[in-house]
Amino acid sequence: MSQRLRGGPLQGVRVVELTKVWAGPYVGKQLAFLGAEVLRVESLGSLDVTRTYGVSDINNAPGFRAVNPQKLSVQIDMKKPEGIEILLALLAKSDIVVENLRPGAIDRLGLGYEAVKAVKPDIIYVSMGMYGNEGPLAYQTGYAPCFAALGGLSSLVGYEGQPPSGMNMRYADSTFGTAATYAAIVALLHRQKTGVGQFVDVSAVESMTSMIGDSIMDYTLNGVVREGDGNRHAEMAPHGVFPCAESEWISIAVPTDAVWQALAGAMGQPGLAQDSRFATLAARKANESELERLLADWTASHDARELAATLQQQCVPAAKSQNAVDIVSDPHLWAQGFYREVHDQAGRARTILGPPWRMTRAAVIDAAAPRLGEHNAYVFGEILGLTAEEQQRLAETGVTR
Amino acid sequence: MSALSSYKVLELADGVAGEYCGKLLADFGAEVIKIEAPGRGSGTRHFGPYGGGQADVERSALFAFLNTNKRSVTLDLSGPAGRATLAKLLERVDVVIDDHAVGWLASVGLDPATFAQAWPRLVLCSITPYGQTPAEDRLHAEDLNVFHMSGWGFHTPTAADGTLPPLKGAGRFLVSYEGGLESALCIVAALYERERSGQGEFIDVAKQEVLASRVDYVLGPMITGDADVTPSRTAFDLGGPAGIFRCRDGYAYIWLSSPAHWEGLRKLLGNPEWMNDLPPHWLERECTPERVALTRRHLTDWLKTQNKDDASAAAQKLGVTLVAVNNAGDLLRSPQFQFRGFFAEVRHPVLGTAQYPTVPYRMSATPVHITTAAPRLGEHTRDYLGTEPGGRS
Repeated sequence: MSQRLRGGPLQGVRVVELTKVWAGPYVGKQLAFLGAEVLRVESLGSLDVTRTYGVSDINNAPGFRAVNPQKLSVQIDMKKPEGIEILLALLAKSDIVVENLRPGAIDRLGLGYEAVKAVKPDIIYVSMGMYGNEGPLAYQTGYAPCFAALGGLSSLVGYEGQPPSGMNMRYADSTFGTAATYAAIVALLHRQKTGVGQFVDVSAVESMTSMIGDSIMDYTLNGVVREGDGNRHAEMAPHGVFPCAESEWISIAVPTDAVWQALAGAMGQPGLAQDSRFATLAARKANESELERLLADWTASHDARELAATLQQQCVPAAKSQNAVDIVSDPHLWAQGFYREVHDQAGRARTILGPPWRMTRAAVIDAAAPRLGEHNAYVFGEILGLTAEEQQRLAETGVTR
Repeated sequence: MSALSSYKVLELADGVAGEYCGKLLADFGAEVIKIEAPGRGSGTRHFGPYGGGQADVERSALFAFLNTNKRSVTLDLSGPAGRATLAKLLERVDVVIDDHAVGWLASVGLDPATFAQAWPRLVLCSITPYGQTPAEDRLHAEDLNVFHMSGWGFHTPTAADGTLPPLKGAGRFLVSYEGGLESALCIVAALYERERSGQGEFIDVAKQEVLASRVDYVLGPMITGDADVTPSRTAFDLGGPAGIFRCRDGYAYIWLSSPAHWEGLRKLLGNPEWMNDLPPHWLERECTPERVALTRRHLTDWLKTQNKDDASAAAQKLGVTLVAVNNAGDLLRSPQFQFRGFFAEVRHPVLGTAQYPTVPYRMSATPVHITTAAPRLGEHTRDYLGTEPGGRS
């Protein structure tokens, strides 16, 4: 059962994932979307919790299936010495390894950078940790909202004058994974030119801080510690989210005086477009609370989507604040092919979120997330060249459980 | 030698998304030539905060952050002379980054559908709110709008008070930073392939999709019908007592979801009586609103007497995921950030010397370096254009 070539920029690149939960698997997903062959190493004895959340069937956990399409699954028990031997043999035939186990765990398994480098000198070794691989706080652990809190994001999100409320708790893992993916591909490109691999040590907390670089610079240049300011923006007014009918909301951002004129016209209130309190950005910022009150009074009776369409016709940046029902049914996301169909081993169709880009020569993306051990025979037989008898022995002794 | 030092990049971008993408390449050594409009300069030069508070094209901290290690060339692309010069520049570069509205690239002679005929080795990346074929009712968008079209907006913050508006997320440009990061990884992947195929590529990055893909774990099960799809503000949330609490010196965030967390917390708090009223596995299996409220009440009373870093250090040693809610000042003082060298000192001719955030990945063979501050407007025009028409400062 050879893996066919899918094309795409990373065709021919083999990735081994020693990952758990979301951030690490997200790296594998992105590399697989770009054409790499991504092998998730799993074991019945230390299953990723996302294979078990809320389900009795470990091959049918919806969250796992969302984050792991187009990957291959191979079972190797890393708690057995022979499992480590097999894994090292596999790494010797791989290009990239990604790990996000607990701090120090990978070294204790005998799979640290030096150990892998000994069998594969030009390996690209991507290590992901909340605080990175080493340092005074590297022992600390956390989940996504901890990354956002530590990285400085949570303190910036909130209503003016109120305690910070933070990002949505789901934010962080995938962004952290994307930063690691970028670094991994840069390392791959470097290896292609020089033959030299490297150790890539990625910090979740720093990946958060990278998303607010300009806010940090306000402190390092001006000593200003930024806090939550609702939905405001120093260079745009109005810039906010306003109530509509049926508990819906509309986002409106006004980047120029001309757009303000268009918005004021749409509001249809005599004299508003000429009102000196709102004529310039400086005036609108000075009278922003009053401006927001006027807008909210006007938007409150409108249907959010219809109002956004009306404002778009006037060239005003406006959009409904889409709830989960809206996102799932967004016709643009379907038309773009962002939501796309893949198939599992049994030929059953399943819809996934595909890559958020189009490329001239993209990889074929057509496979659902793998069943546990779905690709054991491919990995042990074709990649590692083990005989059927050897594979059977490994299965019976639990090494490939 | 830095990882990308053999590549030349032409940055036509005028916003945060494209400039952040260019910065990610430049900090790895790519030669990034930033094209700016004569006189006006990049759009980001007109966004604060300004060093010293004074608005000026050379004083934007946003521009200074986004444009380290780049060259600035002023070129007027509104006329045929400038566009002819652009065509010559395109002969000399490997990558073009743009984040103007759909249609702009074609207007300067780089039609995504046909550019490969003239420049077959060129990797051209366009970053837009909704991709190259936006629906008619989404032609005009700022980051705020995209955030709300992606699903993040409606569900921010967690545990929302439905009477208050959803929030925009951290800072002004989260959406653009995300779009820039995703684009950078597409570009280096395309370059990797080009080393073998010799062919360039068009990359069309849609910021709405980038943001939506960041919540794949939650949205995926909704798309397949495995999870409920509701119009609730809390549809992305998990329940439980996790959240932000006030401390003596700021705020802390605590996450509690497992029996191990609960037992760690018991040790941390000295086995208080109230914890005995709750079953050991309640966080996983019997998480009721009453128990959450009780736990939050006691956490509130305890944390308001604590300093955030001390409480965090004590908690972490017991396996409790309690962390400080850091602000910019905290980050500059963080011993972990200092250990990893996350901040770099950069000397800028107008803004002076300051600490700049760098990147979240330490690379053993190709570390990132900031070797030059953001360029002054048109600083390198003569170097690149000489006497070519259209280039003036």
